[in-house]
Amino acid sequence: MADIIQAEGLTKVYHGKVKAVDHISFHVSEGEIFGFLGPNGAGKTTTIKMLNTLASITEGRATVAGHDVAKEPGAVRKSIGVVPQELTADDELSGTENMMLMARLHHVRGSAATAKIGELLRLVDLEDASRRKVKTFSGGMRRRLQLVMGLLHEPKVLFLDEPTLGLDVQTRSKMWNYIKGLNKDRGLTVFMTTHYLDEADSLCERIAIVDHGTIKVSGSPAELKAAHGGDVVTLKLSGGADLTEFFSGIEGVSEVAREGDVYRIKLPRAERALPAIVTGVVQKNLEIQEISFSKPTLDQVFLDVVGRSMRDEEASESDSAWENIRMERAR
Amino acid sequence: MLEETAALTFRALRKWVRNPASVMPGLFTAMFYLALFGSSFNPANLIPAAYASAASSFLKADFGGAPTYITYLTSGVICIILVFNMAFGGIDLVLDRQLGYLNSLLTAPVPRAAIYLSGVAQNLAKVLLLAVLTFIVALFIPNGLQLPASFGVVDFLGTFVAFVLLGLGLSFVFTALALTVRSIDSLVAIVNFLTLPIMFMSNAFFPPSIFPGWLRDVADVNPVTKANEAARLLIVNGGALTSSELGTYEADIAYLVVFAAVLGLIGYLAAKRALRPE
Ligand SMILES: Nc1ncnc2c1ncn2[C@@H]1O[C@H](COP(=O)(O)OP(=O)(O)OP(=O)(O)O)[C@@H](O)[C@H]1O
Ligand SMILES: [Mg+2]
Repeated sequence: MADIIQAEGLTKVYHGKVKAVDHISFHVSEGEIFGFLGPNGAGKTTTIKMLNTLASITEGRATVAGHDVAKEPGAVRKSIGVVPQELTADDELSGTENMMLMARLHHVRGSAATAKIGELLRLVDLEDASRRKVKTFSGGMRRRLQLVMGLLHEPKVLFLDEPTLGLDVQTRSKMWNYIKGLNKDRGLTVFMTTHYLDEADSLCERIAIVDHGTIKVSGSPAELKAAHGGDVVTLKLSGGADLTEFFSGIEGVSEVAREGDVYRIKLPRAERALPAIVTGVVQKNLEIQEISFSKPTLDQVFLDVVGRSMRDEEASESDSAWENIRMERAR
Repeated sequence: MLEETAALTFRALRKWVRNPASVMPGLFTAMFYLALFGSSFNPANLIPAAYASAASSFLKADFGGAPTYITYLTSGVICIILVFNMAFGGIDLVLDRQLGYLNSLLTAPVPRAAIYLSGVAQNLAKVLLLAVLTFIVALFIPNGLQLPASFGVVDFLGTFVAFVLLGLGLSFVFTALALTVRSIDSLVAIVNFLTLPIMFMSNAFFPPSIFPGWLRDVADVNPVTKANEAARLLIVNGGALTSSELGTYEADIAYLVVFAAVLGLIGYLAAKRALRPE
């Protein structure tokens, strides 16, 4: 399938100092859901801003829907829908009025506009609430409204910047369903960013893991997990000799990490090697205090390619704190 | 482009109409100016009662023949209201940028000129309504605005042509300024720095004929002075302008047209710059 987004050596330096995005190249095929996964400050929003004409490109080039972003920004704007990270719907207007304004700005008029607005609001289950002012909406309702506000002109590509930031688990999986539906039923190409591992895993067909403005690795979540994750057996023993060498000798084991009495053994298929591991420990007269094994996750891929865990960062920089800052500013 | 400009202007005005109380602060300020300055700066009060006849001839000679000080002051206060509210009206636009609303316009196929012009239009519309209300309030103040018998609809419109042109020029600058600054603090700082000189280096409160020479020279080129001069000719004389007075009126209006056009051009270029990709 044709590439609907192409980026070649895309670079953004803010004010001649801050290198937010550093020579990244990627492509997105038509009809695909492509995701940028990375921690805070990785350069996700900046990349989206360059692609949707909000930020100038310092170096490199990009095309969206066949148009060069730097040379034909007008044509690009006509073919894209943008759902920003901030909640930007007008608080003082109702849901429908916000949609109406967007429709007029995109030259969707009259009964066509009314029909389209009704259809999109129904799609995200907002048709009843849409007559109320947006300031009475919950965070989830705002995100849903925002999602369809970018779709009135039937764009070819939808940019979604952190579409579920600050939402609870249930509302998030609902959002995922809406996005999947738009992609399947309308063939909409989606370029999205997220710092939620499970979101990237369940929503995106292909992802790129970004950190410090560069793409560390890209591919489908399954490919990445197979290549970088593998299964991990975690084992806690009751003291005794160092078994690192023994575990490394077991067939298929690719890596053994030891911290005190805890061993992390990496291997492609844990269930096959478990008997050998357990028998070995018992034969050496040691006791197993804890044992568990995990299937690969994107977090392991992240750990593998970036060298630190993404979960740690999520914990240190909680979403709710982030949302609070925004709400403060909004006042 | 007109369609987008209209849609965006409509959005702003709709929010404003829904909240009619938002005109109240502006209107109260206008009333305070009229009532407080109208009595404390009133030459008739400043000059002791023993010289009452001198005071009234002073009013006649230097205040363009206005029957009361508030008659003179009304157009000055309207201009001040225009300057202040136009300057601070930009806060809404700074908020639009800070909340990301502006970005949602910039990624849509909306001409940048439409974003700028809708800012100019919404500011102008709000402030002109205040100006009309101020004019009406002045009529009801005791010893307030006294219009000549010959003052008709045409004279009212003629008066407001001066205010509209002044307001348009001011809206062009202050809208461009609001799109350029990144924070409300810097907008307020710049606006505070600009508005006081504009207000006091003009004929808004007193006739420049009583100013020291250097101040008179500045006041004479201040567009606020031109707008006041034109408006006062009609407010004081109504339909009965002599041909030299008519000439002055026409020259003032021409000055204001050029003022608005030049600032429109500068404002447009500045706004285009401010709306470029970051
Ligand atoms: N306008 C700007 N001026 C200067 N630096 C900026 C600007 N915008 C972003 N940056 C910097 O660029 C880097 C990348 O920021 P960006 O917003 O793209 O990250 P992100 O991946 O979207 O992060 P988050 O998950 O927090 O949204 C950060 O270091 C940030 O401080
Ligand atoms: Mg971001």
